[in-house]
Amino acid sequence: MNDQLLIDKINENLKDLVREITNPAPRRIFVKVEVNHLREMVNWLKQEQGFTHLSTISGVDLGQTFEILYHFANDFTCLTVRTEIPRDNPLLPSICSTIPGAILYERELQDMFGITVQDLPDPRPLLLPDDWPAGNYPLRKDWKYERPAEVIPGGKK
Amino acid sequence: MKFQIPIGPQHPALKEPIGLRVVVEGEIIRDADLRLGYNHRGLEKLAEQKTWIQNIYLTERICGICSHSHTTCYVQGVEKLMELQVPKRGLYIRTLVSELERVHSHLLWLGVAGHEAGFDSFFMYTWRDREIVMDILEIISGNRVHYGINTIGGVRRDLDELQVKKILDSLDILRKRSEYYQNLGTTEPSFVARLAGVGYLSKEDAIALCAVGPTLRASGVPRDVRKDDPYAVYDELPFEVCTADTCDVLGRTVVRIKELFQSYNMIEYILKNLPEGPIAVRAPRRAKPNEVVSRYEAPRGENIHYIKSNGTEKPERLKVRAPTLGNYAATIKMLKNGFIADVPLIFAAIDPCICCAERAVALVDARTGQEKVVPMLALKQLSQKISGLNARKREVEWPL
Repeated sequence: MNDQLLIDKINENLKDLVREITNPAPRRIFVKVEVNHLREMVNWLKQEQGFTHLSTISGVDLGQTFEILYHFANDFTCLTVRTEIPRDNPLLPSICSTIPGAILYERELQDMFGITVQDLPDPRPLLLPDDWPAGNYPLRKDWKYERPAEVIPGGKK
Repeated sequence: MKFQIPIGPQHPALKEPIGLRVVVEGEIIRDADLRLGYNHRGLEKLAEQKTWIQNIYLTERICGICSHSHTTCYVQGVEKLMELQVPKRGLYIRTLVSELERVHSHLLWLGVAGHEAGFDSFFMYTWRDREIVMDILEIISGNRVHYGINTIGGVRRDLDELQVKKILDSLDILRKRSEYYQNLGTTEPSFVARLAGVGYLSKEDAIALCAVGPTLRASGVPRDVRKDDPYAVYDELPFEVCTADTCDVLGRTVVRIKELFQSYNMIEYILKNLPEGPIAVRAPRRAKPNEVVSRYEAPRGENIHYIKSNGTEKPERLKVRAPTLGNYAATIKMLKNGFIADVPLIFAAIDPCICCAERAVALVDARTGQEKVVPMLALKQLSQKISGLNARKREVEWPL
């Protein structure tokens, strides 16, 4: 089975859901869906096409929106499902009910971008320290790190 | 009463800081929970401020053992963004270093597994022979750990006849030694008894929890990026995907030993069929706006980089997912309903390593669920208070 066959199948079955399909390189397919169709798309991919392996979830800050990319793989190709959510209301449905292995990546998204993943089985912070100030999301483009001034205990002589 | 025991994040014997909390009932682990981020270095953010070339050396420092994996994954993605055609000889040398790295990582792991199972002579033998691979890597690149051999468009160092001969000679020794380990690791009764049945992960769970690498293949799933999604020159090399169906730590050992032999075959093939020609092409400083998903089979499993360019000298976004993160969800599953004594072994089986429980105990009141961490001093006082009433020999000081 090759990429074109899969693209044809997606066009046939999910015509209303899919906004855009690109195939820039062999074994690389990018599919764009609206965020409210995300779960349906992931379900279909898993049940019908055997995309059981989620490699990771990448987030990109595009300024006005966040782009979320789900990198799936099966035995012969690698498919990326792409969706966009508004930056001022970053809500994303969890896909853990379909792909249980997605939990760590979704928790990472919450930490790094301040996206609220809905229906997450375990929404605690994962990567950032316990005393991390609220409202600081490091991978947003407008977040800048300033190294705090070094304080020598006891003062410099 | 259930106890919650924190293991990590800091311990003198730990290689990496990771916080693991296990809920135990007697000797049995009922629940486990992970806390990551003690070693979070903000590398993805930093990569956005560095140029394409600088990022090679940054990604090299993501990991000390599979340093070549991350650079190759990054570099082959950037080459696609810049639309470069890498010369064949460059790709062969890059693959050669990849496979040598896999050999050294698997030998290291075998030693760690032997150590965790209480078989320290195995540990010393494998690590002695690992030195042979380290010497080969030093012959090729001049370095033992961070090889610095990759560059955008090819590799930085060429091989000559003498080096090829030296590597082939060392390969014979490695083959002979690995046969001995295969024999020992799979037939030595006490070693096998310690590993068999520990850290069970069924095929269904391994797939559902998106496990990668030898952990996945030991559960009987023949998934390997080198076969499924061939990069570099893997479509030309003769090799098989190694699997085991025991779904336990023994299976993970068997898979890794089998992979050693596959790597030796590949290294031999590469050295005997090394094409002539240049090793690198010149790379531009900027990449057109585009995006690429780059996958690589590191010694520990699938490594994936998502790279997005915006037309400047620096990447718009570099997302790195190392194989160990992909295996954590499966590790939690493996720990559940196992023995507390198996924690180091199960953790070592995915390749990071946690040695032994910290000297602090969190007591959970089973009725209220309230939790408090008790320092060692308070625990001593508590035991003194309780045992102070016990009958004991006169004139004997309580040792605490």
